[in-house]
Amino acid sequence: MKTDMPLSRPIRLFVSQTEELLDTEISLLRNPEADQNGTLVDVYTYNIEKNIILFPPQYTGLLKDFIIARHCVNLLIKGAAAKKTRYLVCSFTGDSVYKGLHQIYIDALKDEAKKAKKLPVHKLIRMLNILYTNFNNDINEFPWNPITNAIVYHRIPQIRKTQLYYLMKEGKRDMDSMMEYEDIIPRRYFVLSKSMFYARDLYLAKILPADELMPVINIPQMKKFNHLEVKEMLTTRWTQTSWYQSKIFGDAMLDIMEKHLQNIDWNAEPSLDYFHDIYQTGVNMTNHFISYMSMQGWFIWETTKHLQDAQRKKAEFEFGALKKIFGDLIEKSTFEGDIGYP
Amino acid sequence: MTTKEVEQLIKKGRAYATRTKYREALIYYEKALALDPSNPETWCLRAAAFIETGRNEEALKDCEHALSLNQNYVDAWSKKGYALYNLGRFDEAVHSCTRALTLNGNDASAWYIKGVCLDELGKTDEANEAYGKSLELEIIFDMQADLKRDGR
Repeated sequence: MKTDMPLSRPIRLFVSQTEELLDTEISLLRNPEADQNGTLVDVYTYNIEKNIILFPPQYTGLLKDFIIARHCVNLLIKGAAAKKTRYLVCSFTGDSVYKGLHQIYIDALKDEAKKAKKLPVHKLIRMLNILYTNFNNDINEFPWNPITNAIVYHRIPQIRKTQLYYLMKEGKRDMDSMMEYEDIIPRRYFVLSKSMFYARDLYLAKILPADELMPVINIPQMKKFNHLEVKEMLTTRWTQTSWYQSKIFGDAMLDIMEKHLQNIDWNAEPSLDYFHDIYQTGVNMTNHFISYMSMQGWFIWETTKHLQDAQRKKAEFEFGALKKIFGDLIEKSTFEGDIGYP
Repeated sequence: MTTKEVEQLIKKGRAYATRTKYREALIYYEKALALDPSNPETWCLRAAAFIETGRNEEALKDCEHALSLNQNYVDAWSKKGYALYNLGRFDEAVHSCTRALTLNGNDASAWYIKGVCLDELGKTDEANEAYGKSLELEIIFDMQADLKRDGR
């Protein structure tokens, strides 16, 4: 491990165990540009010699430690997959982009037909591309989130209070995201996106024992959660919102999650085989989600190199797909303009 | 020497340190110290940059220099604790962090380093108490930063 900063003992041990298990080196670096959740730059994804976990400099204590712990688990899963078989991710090709954009377009048309104020064509096209990309990112991240959190929870009990804060923060952020675009995005995709986060929150609320996650720390801003079980904390927000559809789809997604994760022994002796099994479970669960969301054919399991190449060719793939959908109506200039969607 | 000139040098050093360019920061702090060695803040800033570049013995000396100029300088106690931790002198680090926290109980880093050192010394209960304090403060600062970022 390469770092010049203090680390709590359990995290230091966990980082060392990760390095030992994968026979690799991890550098921990503060970086002002780092994402709030930290960033893992690893040898199984990029053509580099050592793994780096980057995190924002304002996190100096246990928040930093939690970010490191979560990325170590990600690294263990990726590394075990790479060492035992192959580490694959959901990538895309020209054909799969066409399938995705075409499906979103059909669904968007259904929604647009009911609207008094139609979305201009260039904004509609931008929205198709953005939604497809968002789902590609989500499908590569969301199924691994409950797995990572459950592993951190069981293997590093000392960090549970920090984890509670993170889950609350993450849940709130994901719940609030895309709200201002609710009227632009086809209903189906808005609901599916929210459902994913709903399922994740509910799953974590169920498997992480409430008494352990009780916020006993005396934080005024968190007082309102005192004497509530964590399950209640995570679910109340959903039941009190107007997204009842998200709850229905989310409950179904929660069932999928529970079905796939129920047999994992979170406290088993860590080994490459163990983490490879978890990787395989994550892959199977991802496939199940893709199937449930009727996104078969949208993505393909491929190497990280394939995904990086695909991302470079993304504009080309999108242009080809849109040409197939809209014919000669599509020109390069159609891509200009902004729908105001992030 | 003008105070303004020293302030400018410190400002430039800080700007580099914020971007984690500690070697460049050190150059400006050294220039500032050459002009005005009586400012404990500059000694402490240089100590922080020394710590980030792994020069913990030098950091320790700078902290002690800062404290010789102002015994109640919180950051100097806190950085001293950090340098001592890096040097594996956990008992002394706990002492320095405790001094820092007596002067300012809201120093999340000092609570954290104290926790880490107590943990290393096998004093688990005390370590957990320090970690708890550190987390409490970190969360409050994080929430405040989020509110600021959201413009609320």
